[in-house]
Amino acid sequence: MIHISQTAVNRPRVFLWLSGLLSLVMITLVVLPSVWPASFALLNPLKIDTDPENMLSIDEPVRMFHNQQKKEFSLYDMVVVGVVNETDSQGVFNAQSLKNIYDLTEFAKNIQWQDKEGKTQGVISVDLMAPSTVDNIEPGGMGVVKFEWLMKAPPLNDAEALTIRNKAQNLPLLNGTIVSEDGKAMALYIPITAKNVSYNVVEKLKGKIAELKGNDQYHITGLPVAQDTFGVEMFIQMAISAPMAMILIFLLMWYFFKKASLVMSPMIVAMVSVISTMGLLVITGNTVHIMSSMIPIFIMPIAVLDAIHILSDFYDRYPLYKDRKKTIQHVMKELSAPMLYTTLTTAVGFGSLALTPIPPVQTFGLFVSIGVILAWIFTITLIPAYIMVMPEEKFADFGLMHDDGDGNGTPLARLLNKTGRLTFSYAKLIVFGVFVLAIIAWAGMNRIVINDNPVKWFAPDHEIRIADRALNERFAGTYMAYLMLEGASISTDMDQFSTALKDHMKFSPLVPLHEMASVVDEVQSKSSDRNQLIDLLIARMEQRMETVSDESWDEWDSALTWVGDYLSKDETFKNPDVLNYMGKLQDYLQSTELVGKSNSLSDVVKTVHRELFMGDKAAYRIPESRGAVAETLITYQNSHRPQDLWHFVTPDYRKTNMWLQLKSGDNRDMSALVKKVDEFFNNNPAPEGISHQWFGLTYINVIWQDKMVSGMAEAFIGSFIIVLIMMVFLFRSLWWGILAMIPLTFTIGMIYGIIGLIGKDYDMPVAVLSSLSLGLAVDYTIHFLARSREIRKQHSNWEKTSYAVFGEPARAIARNVIVVGVGFMPLLAAPLVPYKTVGVFISAILVLAGVATLTILPALIRLFERFLFKENSTRT
Amino acid sequence: MKNMMKIILVLSFLWSFPAYAIDVMEVVKNANHVSYYKGSDGRAKVNMSIFDDQGRERSREFVILRKDDEQMDDAVQKFFVYFNKPADVKKMVFMVVKNMDRDDDRWLYLPALDLVKRIAASDERTSFVGSNFYYEDVSGRGIEEDTHELVEENDTYYIVKSTPKNKAAVEFSTYKNWIHKATFLPIKTEYYDDQGQKIRSYTALKVEVISGHPTVTSSSMEDHKTGGKTVMSYSDVKYDIGLPDDIFTERYLRKAPREYLR
Repeated sequence: MIHISQTAVNRPRVFLWLSGLLSLVMITLVVLPSVWPASFALLNPLKIDTDPENMLSIDEPVRMFHNQQKKEFSLYDMVVVGVVNETDSQGVFNAQSLKNIYDLTEFAKNIQWQDKEGKTQGVISVDLMAPSTVDNIEPGGMGVVKFEWLMKAPPLNDAEALTIRNKAQNLPLLNGTIVSEDGKAMALYIPITAKNVSYNVVEKLKGKIAELKGNDQYHITGLPVAQDTFGVEMFIQMAISAPMAMILIFLLMWYFFKKASLVMSPMIVAMVSVISTMGLLVITGNTVHIMSSMIPIFIMPIAVLDAIHILSDFYDRYPLYKDRKKTIQHVMKELSAPMLYTTLTTAVGFGSLALTPIPPVQTFGLFVSIGVILAWIFTITLIPAYIMVMPEEKFADFGLMHDDGDGNGTPLARLLNKTGRLTFSYAKLIVFGVFVLAIIAWAGMNRIVINDNPVKWFAPDHEIRIADRALNERFAGTYMAYLMLEGASISTDMDQFSTALKDHMKFSPLVPLHEMASVVDEVQSKSSDRNQLIDLLIARMEQRMETVSDESWDEWDSALTWVGDYLSKDETFKNPDVLNYMGKLQDYLQSTELVGKSNSLSDVVKTVHRELFMGDKAAYRIPESRGAVAETLITYQNSHRPQDLWHFVTPDYRKTNMWLQLKSGDNRDMSALVKKVDEFFNNNPAPEGISHQWFGLTYINVIWQDKMVSGMAEAFIGSFIIVLIMMVFLFRSLWWGILAMIPLTFTIGMIYGIIGLIGKDYDMPVAVLSSLSLGLAVDYTIHFLARSREIRKQHSNWEKTSYAVFGEPARAIARNVIVVGVGFMPLLAAPLVPYKTVGVFISAILVLAGVATLTILPALIRLFERFLFKENSTRT
Repeated sequence: MKNMMKIILVLSFLWSFPAYAIDVMEVVKNANHVSYYKGSDGRAKVNMSIFDDQGRERSREFVILRKDDEQMDDAVQKFFVYFNKPADVKKMVFMVVKNMDRDDDRWLYLPALDLVKRIAASDERTSFVGSNFYYEDVSGRGIEEDTHELVEENDTYYIVKSTPKNKAAVEFSTYKNWIHKATFLPIKTEYYDDQGQKIRSYTALKVEVISGHPTVTSSSMEDHKTGGKTVMSYSDVKYDIGLPDDIFTERYLRKAPREYLR
């Protein structure tokens, strides 16, 4: 390692040119296929991915199930547009507002375009839910049932507008969904072909909304909108935060080292590291996901970390040598081992993320890890090379002015000196304090709530958050979860089936069946499944019936119906018992207060049944027989939108889908709901062996969160052990190894304790932090202990050693803490909460780790001095 | 398309008239007549296959009885639709009296619920028992409801464009009918929305000559927006069977006239 630095010192220009060339190649390889995808088809262009669903790999069973069900029930991701009017006493139920809603709906219906592959993208107009696109079902006078568009045309006056409201509120499927619970606001549910078209669709809707008159407020939300908008803002943040971090780091280093031309070198290291890492990410075909977009902001401060150690040491040593080559050789000799180890531990910390089961986190961990190693290589070559190409005379006034290398000139130096003395005098008190804090942290950690919600990734004043609050206050909920129920699977054993069929026929009171039972075996030999068998049997009966007399026809006809109906018991969700069970489940869901509203086949049947009986409230129930259920269902299919039925049940009536609207998208609430539903099924055995399974984005989020939490815990434990082994190896001592783990353990404990105490949710960014902080926090410890042990060799006891350690080594650590800690601060300016979280906590972790290193370690060494150095001295 | 060519071929052999100039209303009236008013009455067994955009199939089977009013040609007529399948809605009956001067009267008999319902005729452009055919497609759209224009005439077809007089009552903006010149049977109908996009299309898939009447015995209706499609096939088609008038009364809803339904 010193060798490569030596080479760089000898041939500096070669190294500088090479790194420049490397950056240029990387940029070219990314730009070419991104700008001219057709000409450079073999290269991977820049691909953006904002879909949290991709937190699960594409073949993850939960995700595959989710997509399969969406397809089967023709469900799409939805943009929800809420319309609120706070000036009119009838809310939006006035002629002008409804006219606007009508116009907006007409406009939305036609938002479609052809994508590059010629596929139609945009709004699925047939499934759009708006007052002018859904049916009102009502009894239209004595003995009349009618289906009509709820709002066929905009109302002529405010009274008509109220009529529309009353009609919608009377229909359980619309009340709370299209019309708000207070009867003042309205929501449109706009299904879209894919999540990633939502930004486009929303921009078009906003354009139309701007043209509408009146004082209606429009709120646009829905998970796909949140996700797509997030992607756009992610880039804004990358474009703002990363350069800001650069500038801040530059200014701080300038302040510490006084020489702008010199501190350019860490900037170059950071730039080359970021460009190479991101270049590698893109050209290897990885997508830029919410996680990987944070890579630059992580690599930048880490990249300057080692450079600061070098410059700090160089700055303090140069006045002694007055020769840059000699100084740099001294510095590299002193720092090469700690730098290698800090790099490796950081790489291990991030690399451990590759063990999590979440693809974007794996990519993130892997590439930060690569970036850290690249940064190390660039640091140990480019910094010496850069110093060597700078003219010697530029250093004339450079460096800390001191006589013995332990100058007391600056406030920082004075503070550190004092700290050093305090740690010696009050070692026991410090250790006691650590114990007290550890107990508090433990209490805090036990209060941690695991929770996330992609909508809350936006700041509270973001329009999506405002829309989210406005709509969930008024409507049943904008977060969708689906509960699929399925009947027990049917045996495919044909012999068993035909034997049972024959028995049923032979003992039936319908005489013609006795005759027909004899052909069952024959038709079975010609059929491959039960449906075919029944079809063939029916064909044979119809053939036979051509010759029966009119008198016996009715009996034959009944026999035919019996056969035709034989398989209908497989149609689980036409069974009144099943529908009543579903109704009971829905009442239960409502009682949990976790569900704003549930919509199901049971509601459809009840509503149609009520309208068939003149809108009588008492008739809002499931009819007694299977046939009666079938009749309400076929009646429902006489509407304008018969296909709506297939959102609730498959045409074979074997599977049903309950659509749940939740007011909260918090994973915590969804998890609680999953648990509650399991309890219901345990306490109320379902008829016909019905099983249940969840899907929908809100549920998917819970699944990847669970995977994240357990994955992170494993990754953390794994990297903790690896780092411990590395420390033992580095210091050739178990006890020194354990000592090295104490500040970082304390730091992480404190951070998570604080998270628990302040009630901050343990979410995606917080989860990622654990492994990061492990890799970063140990850096200071390594530098501190390595330098302490070196210096101890020149001194007789710790008291004297401590004095020297709190000179240059402590200053390097402190400068690092300040530069890197502040370097993450620009993340606070990001409009997105996860970036802010990462910014705050990384800074906090670094500061805390720095403080812990500079206090706990010297205090412990003081207390266990004999033990620690006895071992040391016996070996040397 | 292939089917259509076959149909044209059959029809061309049977009827070959020289082309002559014709008034568009004449075409429309003739088309209306051959589509809905053949013979004085008729019956057919209909098999309906409904496919959704995922290709899943559901089927319906019913017998349809029709009787025209004797007082006036191509005017009032009555339909009696008796369901055999799905088995769980067997015996369900749908009955229509098509009026000229007012909305049609429609009844639905639901045997399991033991309900006779009059269905409001406010909107006839709703699905017929879940298929892609509308009620209006089954009983026929009054020719006075649209203005018609002969937009093209070739060797085989009159192509008539029809625009609704009351635009608010329908979901389309115009439709075009390909009316076969020799038989006046509409072979293809396409419905367009305001943007001129094709939203729905009807195609006659098979034509047979039954008792001297060229009859569509298989047809399909496609909904281009939902991707759904329904194919109707007719069998046991008979004309002039002497259906009594009283079959088409509420009384027979509950007790279907067996002899005409077999």
